[in-house]
Amino acid sequence: MIEIRGLGKSFPGRRGNPGVKALEGVNLTVRDDEFLTVLGPSGCGKTTLLRCLAGLVSWDEGEILLDRRPVTGPGPERAMVFQSIALMPWASVLRNVTFGLELRGVNGSDCRSRAQELIELVGLSGFESSMPFELSGGMQQRVGLARALAVEPAVLLMDEPFGALDEQTRRLLQEELLQIWETRRTTVVFITHSMDEAVLLGDRVVLMSARPGKIEDVVEVPMPRPRSAHIDTVEGSAEFREITSQLWVRLREWQVDIGRRGRAAAAGSR
Amino acid sequence: MSTGTAVSARVARRHPRPPWVGFYGVTGSWPTAVALGIGIGFWEVVGRVAEFRFFPPFSEVLGRLFEMIGNGEIIPPLTGSLTNLAIGFGISVVFGITIGLLMGAYRRVEAALDIYVYALLTAPSLVFAPIMFSIFGLGPEPIIGVIVIYTIFIIIINTTSAVQTVPRGLIEMGRSYCASDWEIFRRIIIPAALPMIMAGLRLAGARAVEGMINGELFIAAVGLGAVISRAGARFDATTVLAVLVLTLSIAFLVVRIIKSIDTRVTSWLPETQRGLR
Repeated sequence: MIEIRGLGKSFPGRRGNPGVKALEGVNLTVRDDEFLTVLGPSGCGKTTLLRCLAGLVSWDEGEILLDRRPVTGPGPERAMVFQSIALMPWASVLRNVTFGLELRGVNGSDCRSRAQELIELVGLSGFESSMPFELSGGMQQRVGLARALAVEPAVLLMDEPFGALDEQTRRLLQEELLQIWETRRTTVVFITHSMDEAVLLGDRVVLMSARPGKIEDVVEVPMPRPRSAHIDTVEGSAEFREITSQLWVRLREWQVDIGRRGRAAAAGSR
Repeated sequence: MSTGTAVSARVARRHPRPPWVGFYGVTGSWPTAVALGIGIGFWEVVGRVAEFRFFPPFSEVLGRLFEMIGNGEIIPPLTGSLTNLAIGFGISVVFGITIGLLMGAYRRVEAALDIYVYALLTAPSLVFAPIMFSIFGLGPEPIIGVIVIYTIFIIIINTTSAVQTVPRGLIEMGRSYCASDWEIFRRIIIPAALPMIMAGLRLAGARAVEGMINGELFIAAVGLGAVISRAGARFDATTVLAVLVLTLSIAFLVVRIIKSIDTRVTSWLPETQRGLR
């Protein structure tokens, strides 16, 4: 279980610009084996929140507890999948997947066989010795997913992992991610800016607003699991439409508001 | 499970080297061979037509070089020079890369050292020759010192920027898997920075040869530098140019060796990152 209590973080302003309050008073509990999606407009601090969870950045206020122990840095029970994918371009698919394992001290044939299993799981059998630049974006992110799953994390942190992919690839990967998660349950915190993606994947959707980044609402997604086998029915259901359109109503309001504030600020400085 | 578009064919990255050794084999590619041929032809023609006293044609210079190799008189100074070159350049590579890695990775180290590095890079390296001489006295040490000063700062600066251009996301990825600073150096920074570090070594390799000759000319009457200064005193332009040709060949060879190591260790670079065509 992850408990986030009163989390606050600001970035100092540079050259006279005022600082940005990235997160303010964020309270959130993530249940074990829950698929939690975090949705919000760009600049709402959702990625910052995830980076705090990963222990990659520090924060100013509040605390994060993972199974009642405070998070102070990266840990072996968490693994992250990056939007930028972050594969090592000089290493083969196999060696990219074994990266985390080697750092955990898993070596030799044990390491290779586990990596092999994960490569199969993400559907990349036969590409073990390929180099990242030889792969398409979707295939690269499969490698990123395999690398994260290889260390058998209790918590999988995913930072808009499919955000840079084309729609067809994205849909396929969403389906496969659900399939994988349905068979090997872990806690997943999944950042996205897509309403459909948030509702399709998540047990709950955390709705965040920007400046300062705050949690506005946590929406339950009551749709049954497993969903991977009939994604089309899920997305076609009235319930799905209802939840996504409600989310959009609120996101739209903030988007318009941000636009209005931006124009006002521009007019003020003129 | 489907795998999307397959791009399984590994790209052939290097042109095969011809198996036979010759002019083409040494230069590595026909454009180099043609360019070299034009340069030498020009030298030969100017030398013959102009009949400048101190500019003998290439054939004469080459003849003198083979003569010196044949009667063995060039061998002891050559081996002496090459030994100094190897030691001096070796020291520069080891310390230059180490210091550069630290400066690139730690902002405080960079802030502390970069003023010295740039000052010493800009200062005419030969200024240090007499100082080296007074510290180490006669013998190979001051020349090794000069070679180090000629080369280490370029290596440091290149390595520093190489480290600083390593994608942030990769380092963060390493951190997220609990990698220590040392592991991040070993597994991420060094491999990612290697292409640029190797480019620095190539530059430094050529400068090492320059440092070697200058050191030998200005400090001690040893090695190839001594041969040049003695021949110069006799106004023996043919010998001076013969040694110069030999020196250039050494520089060329050094750069070539580094380049071949480079293509081996950075073979992961996709073809598109190796220039237009």
